Amino acid sequence: MSSYEEQLDTAEGVDYDAIADLLGDRVVRRETHLNAEGFVVRPDQVAESLTLLREEAGFDHLSMVTAQDYEDRYETIYHLTKYADRTHEVSVVVPTDPENPVSESAASVYKTANWHEREAYDLVGVEYDGHPDLRRILLPETWQGHPLSSDYDQDKPQIVQFDEHKNPLEDDHRGADSDTMFLNIGPHHPATHGVLHLKTVLDGEQVADVDPDIGYLHRCEEQMCQQGTYRHQIMPYPDRWDYASAGLLNEWAYARVAEDLNDIEVPEYAQIIRTMSAEFCRIAAHLLAVGTFALDIYGDFTAIFMYAMRDREKVQNILEDLTGQRMMFNYFRLGGVVWDLPEPREEWFENIRDFLDDLPGTLEEYHDLITTNEIFQTRVIGTGVLDPEDAKQFGTTGPVARASGIDYDIRRDDPYGYYDELDWNVVTEEGGDNYARFLVRMQEVEESAKIISQCVDLLEDWPEDERNIQSNVPRTLKPDPDTEVYRAVEGAKGELGIYIRSDGTDKPGRFKIRSPCFCNLSALNAMSKGEYVPDLVATLGSLDVILGEVDR
Amino acid sequence: MIGVLKSMATTLKHAMDGSTFTVEYPDVAPEVSPRFRGVHKFSQERCIWCRQCENVCPNDTIQIVQDDQRNGEQYNLHIGQCVYCRLCEEVCPVDAILLTQNFEFTGDTKDDLVYNKEQLKNVPWYKDIDPLESREPDRGAWIGEGEGEVDYQ
Amino acid sequence: MFAPLQSDPVLLPETIARLLFGSEIAIWQEAVAGFLAAFLIANIMLANAGVAGPWAKRKITAAFTDRIAVNRIGPAGLLIIPAAAVQLMAKELIIPDGVDRPAYDLAPILLALSALLGFAVIPMGSIFGINLQMADPETGLAFVFAVASIATLALTMGGYASNNKYSLMGGLRAIAQNIAYEIPLIVTAASVVIFTGTLQTSEIVAQQSEPLVTIAGLTIPSWFAFVNPFAFVLFMVANLAEVGRNPFDIPEAPTEIVAGYMTEYSSIYFVLFYMGEFIHIFLGGAIVATVFLGGPAGPVLPGFIWFIIKIWAVFLFTQWARSAVPRVRIDQLIEIGWKGMLVLSFANLVLTAVIVGVML
Repeated sequence: MSSYEEQLDTAEGVDYDAIADLLGDRVVRRETHLNAEGFVVRPDQVAESLTLLREEAGFDHLSMVTAQDYEDRYETIYHLTKYADRTHEVSVVVPTDPENPVSESAASVYKTANWHEREAYDLVGVEYDGHPDLRRILLPETWQGHPLSSDYDQDKPQIVQFDEHKNPLEDDHRGADSDTMFLNIGPHHPATHGVLHLKTVLDGEQVADVDPDIGYLHRCEEQMCQQGTYRHQIMPYPDRWDYASAGLLNEWAYARVAEDLNDIEVPEYAQIIRTMSAEFCRIAAHLLAVGTFALDIYGDFTAIFMYAMRDREKVQNILEDLTGQRMMFNYFRLGGVVWDLPEPREEWFENIRDFLDDLPGTLEEYHDLITTNEIFQTRVIGTGVLDPEDAKQFGTTGPVARASGIDYDIRRDDPYGYYDELDWNVVTEEGGDNYARFLVRMQEVEESAKIISQCVDLLEDWPEDERNIQSNVPRTLKPDPDTEVYRAVEGAKGELGIYIRSDGTDKPGRFKIRSPCFCNLSALNAMSKGEYVPDLVATLGSLDVILGEVDR
Repeated sequence: MIGVLKSMATTLKHAMDGSTFTVEYPDVAPEVSPRFRGVHKFSQERCIWCRQCENVCPNDTIQIVQDDQRNGEQYNLHIGQCVYCRLCEEVCPVDAILLTQNFEFTGDTKDDLVYNKEQLKNVPWYKDIDPLESREPDRGAWIGEGEGEVDYQ
Repeated sequence: MFAPLQSDPVLLPETIARLLFGSEIAIWQEAVAGFLAAFLIANIMLANAGVAGPWAKRKITAAFTDRIAVNRIGPAGLLIIPAAAVQLMAKELIIPDGVDRPAYDLAPILLALSALLGFAVIPMGSIFGINLQMADPETGLAFVFAVASIATLALTMGGYASNNKYSLMGGLRAIAQNIAYEIPLIVTAASVVIFTGTLQTSEIVAQQSEPLVTIAGLTIPSWFAFVNPFAFVLFMVANLAEVGRNPFDIPEAPTEIVAGYMTEYSSIYFVLFYMGEFIHIFLGGAIVATVFLGGPAGPVLPGFIWFIIKIWAVFLFTQWARSAVPRVRIDQLIEIGWKGMLVLSFANLVLTAVIVGVML
């Protein structure tokens, strides 16, 4: 910790005046966002300012990059925070000229900025000077225009001339005299867990380079949310980002940011229900991750995959009784949840207790099946290693970061819901390899079970006349114009954040999702370079990416 | 080697106990929870044509056609497009639109999944579950209260 | 020192020839009888593979994974077998652009053929008094290993001719794996040959019928699995690699290289590959049964039934391993093969030679 950093850390959080001093005359103007102070810097001083903030002020986590289009300018916002203390946040705002939207790239300071800026370039059209690889990332290479910029003509058809298409069957002798082989892994491949395309360069069986090509599942989720009203219409969509059972965790991300934006209180009783149901989702999501990871290493439909699916099914049954749906829950509402616990409550609690009682035995079985299996260990220990420094650079969060020894969990570091009242631990492992990530997930299932069990105790004893599931929320929410807020929750895969800028209507002006899978996937190249193809597949499995969330 | 043998013993235990987790659907109809959200059911007798369901629907699944007297003529619902968020049921002041537990429906084309009000009326209850019974408690939280403007038409 | 105990030494072609043509047999009659015998044996093994592929494999996997699996068509879902046959054969045969034609076509045929050929010298025991062994040359065991290893050639051909990178990798992996595991396999088998002093399969079987020890009235025969359990375990492991099943299914490795050499095959070619692989597993089982489990020997039931039971037991074991054992990586596989299995198998060979030399 540098001396500057100590000076900047005050009891109430970040001393923004000290940061202003640190940045000096690079700061053009200061803005106030709901979550943090924003410092407007000139587009040609981005890298310097961010380096100062990272080196001197300890902001080592570039959580997200948001680009947006105003009438008179393009704007890039770098949302910075710290792995050591999530409550310390600062935004660096970089406006650029609409005629010539060029801004300095931050990729030299934070590796994670590489992909984030590619996305900003792709969708909004800001060009980043000094970016190592400024290509489109979500849309195809042939796409005309930048869909989220205001001069984009939505009605213009995207006609791609036939000769612009590369014939996939054409003889291609690029690199014919090299010793490497180019291999497309995906988009249709048994181990890519969705439509992911890995452009892999192989040297024999070893991976010389891998470039994930994403965007096959891009469904304009951000724009869909921009067209829904805050009060009701956005909430069904988060379920569809990380669709592998993590629905409620995603809903909570939206609920948290929208409640902050509109200053809505959530009753304590509803918070407990939220906490409990969200942890059920985490268990389900982690079980699926463990099952599919085993699938990648064992091959075919192995027993462990089916057992994991079976146990996940039990969780889904419980969630179905509570929310009415097995995956696409739409259970949270701004200011609470939509339904109280199902009647008869005792029976439902009994179901949960049965599940929790069985869980240690089930996990023991998983450990017998996989953890202690020597062949499994030789496959996963020491492969796909992500060292802590890289983990921070790539902005990884969630189980991936925790397996690299980074003690970072938003549930504890920036508490929300009922987590700070409960007794549970953040699981970390030191190895940073595939085995460590697997172990973290297994232990997190246990921790989630601990949380659920405490929630059930609380809910059982809750006085009947205080079961308030929703606070009074106006039917129409219209936050003040140009209020900006970025908030994150701990999703199943990591830090799931949402940035909203209001424009005075009942719909968001800009809605940006920080997908944990997106950032975690960007580390794949660093993790699998030089390893064998089977390790690449295992590493991808242990990252546990859900393409719905990567592509949004 | 011990670990490998332990793994094999674990799977053998499962093979030997003969228990199965899967069921023989459709011979065995699955249990669904009373709150489960399936195909909609519509009651023209109850509907007051307030169009709130059409307004709240996040992806324009519901289409209502009225004549110039504001009497309802058509109520179309594209169940192939529906995301089953249940907001229409939640917002309906008279319980005219409900989500039954029925999840079994097919269509040869997308058009077959556009249900008009007659088809919506004829959607059967699944195992005779009336969804309203289990869903009553949340009604108060929705209608009437709140400090914001109440936009009944 | 051992008396040949085979009760029924007449081989199958001779039985058929006598049945058809009487006791005087011309050379062409012998050929016809041989052909018929081969046809019969091949069909028995194809039937086994047919039951194993679409039905038994699913049922077994389902049992390990708490599922129900095929049960709709016919009793216990058995009619899925003809249904699957019709379905697979009715599919369009897709031959991709740029495949190396004769090699691409020959590979599936060669695979199925090599596996079937091996059964020619396996003593399958007798049923209704008919001995089902086709031929009994003095070099029997060497012949089995020789034809079984042709399968590697088929996999490599298929992988190389498919004009697909995944297939190529599968083919290359197949060679690497088979070279690394066939040597320990054969060296381990050689330790048995030191005991028996012959390569003739019927003789190897015959020598295993001697009682080894009698414990509490229960006579344990001198099957080499009991005489030398270490060699048996080694052989089973090497055999898993030889037939390409977990943890050594890396030439296929669906989650890594899609299906390896099989990626570009469809319809009847796929069936041939698929059946060939199952027959190969059964051939592996037949070798294990012949060399280590006393061949068709067993109480009460006819020898042939015992033989079938034994090869199915080995099949079951491969499926069991598949349910619980992860796939090793290619470099680890090679390492286990060359640094582990080979050393152990030679140690076993030397030890056996010393023991046999000293004791007998």
